[in-house]
Amino acid sequence: MSLGASSSSGGLAADFSSRIARLMAYIVLCMVLMTLDYRGYWVERIRTGATFLVEPIWLAVEAPAAVSRSVARRWESRSELLTERDLLALSLDQSRAKLLRLNELQRENDRLRALLGATATIDRNFQAVELRDLDLNPYSHRLLINRGASDGLQVGQVVMDASGLVGQVDSVLVHTASVILLSDPDHALPVEIERSRLRTIAYGSGRNDEVRLTDLPMNADVQVGDVLLSSGLGGRFQAGLPVADVVEVERVPGQAFASARAELRARMQGARHLLVVTDPSPPEIDSDANQRVDDDLDVATDVVQNADAQ
Amino acid sequence: MSARPTGTGLVVLSLIAACALTIMPLPGSIDSFRPYWVALLVIYWNLETGRFRHLGHGFLLGLLLDIMTGTLLGQHALGLVILIFLLERFRSRIRFFPPWQQAGAVFALLLNDRVIHLWIIALQGNQWPSWQWWLAPAVAVLLWPWLFLLLDYLRRKARVQSQ
Repeated sequence: MSLGASSSSGGLAADFSSRIARLMAYIVLCMVLMTLDYRGYWVERIRTGATFLVEPIWLAVEAPAAVSRSVARRWESRSELLTERDLLALSLDQSRAKLLRLNELQRENDRLRALLGATATIDRNFQAVELRDLDLNPYSHRLLINRGASDGLQVGQVVMDASGLVGQVDSVLVHTASVILLSDPDHALPVEIERSRLRTIAYGSGRNDEVRLTDLPMNADVQVGDVLLSSGLGGRFQAGLPVADVVEVERVPGQAFASARAELRARMQGARHLLVVTDPSPPEIDSDANQRVDDDLDVATDVVQNADAQ
Repeated sequence: MSARPTGTGLVVLSLIAACALTIMPLPGSIDSFRPYWVALLVIYWNLETGRFRHLGHGFLLGLLLDIMTGTLLGQHALGLVILIFLLERFRSRIRFFPPWQQAGAVFALLLNDRVIHLWIIALQGNQWPSWQWWLAPAVAVLLWPWLFLLLDYLRRKARVQSQ
């Protein structure tokens, strides 16, 4: 290399190293942001604020899909509508017949509870919500629904569909709310096995249709086909809502705990309508509203620690 | 003087379109093939007009994407910052590549971006994505020539109109 060239390449090298330094600075900044976001510190508040700015974009992007759907509905043929109406009428009749039995059971249940002197169960109110026509990243384990603070939604309300529990309201915007799914690896749900009344905790598996039971005792009474219900511990989820079916039980010799996989009852694929349970939460959780966001996880970990201690 | 604002307008418009395409609903089976539109646009505008040359641009754009798609704050930002860095490093070479080689470079950049995302997804405790997840860069490269031609056409038209 000649001397003339080396001076200019020295300049380039200096330029390049300053660019590397900037790259490193940005990478560190991103890492710090991600860690804080993952741990749920104050970045959460920034994110919530920023999401309010993004909400108009969401609404704008959804508009064409909403228009096309309403057009498609207008052109739906008469015969299709008639068959659909017949089907719905049939299922309504069936549901009514079931409801009659259920009312009878409810009365009987109330009488028995009165005899036992047990506390009365709270009536549940539902609010029907629809999914927004927006795909978030599948690894965010979130859904967007078309109701928000203006419809009285609150963080922590339970979301379910016709077949089972879906998740809970995670953040509330004006006309939108995001729902965290049970499958989020950060989510823990106190559950109960219907057959054996065994209480445990279902953790999100990171796959969209699955939860995991990872801290079962080796001799726990769990079988493939068992139904998981929410146990009501922790006070966030009402007791007795169907959650998932156990599809695999694993007992590895030498391990401290058995584990099981369970397939969620709620069908996320193709579902459009969800229900948000809007009944008043138990008072002891209502009193400290600030604590509500994370108390479910806290309770869950408490239970785990207790189980470990025993 | 007057060509500058129309050019910026086109950049902004194309980015808005890319954001819309990013969160537009797709049927579940082809959802994982969704190309990384914003990255494609950043590459195009960087190579052809020299915009998005600063890492800060990628950072801000990435944060917007993170908020919009609900990923961890900083995930897309990290990917785009590294993408712009690599693009700047090899910009002078990629610009004069023949088209097929340029497409290869785009593929490499997008694949690298997927690796970064995979790393973050795995660190969060998620399951590994299915094999289709790796096809998204391939789909993006197949769309790259058409996007290139479309944006070239739009730019030429904007320039003619502004004169």
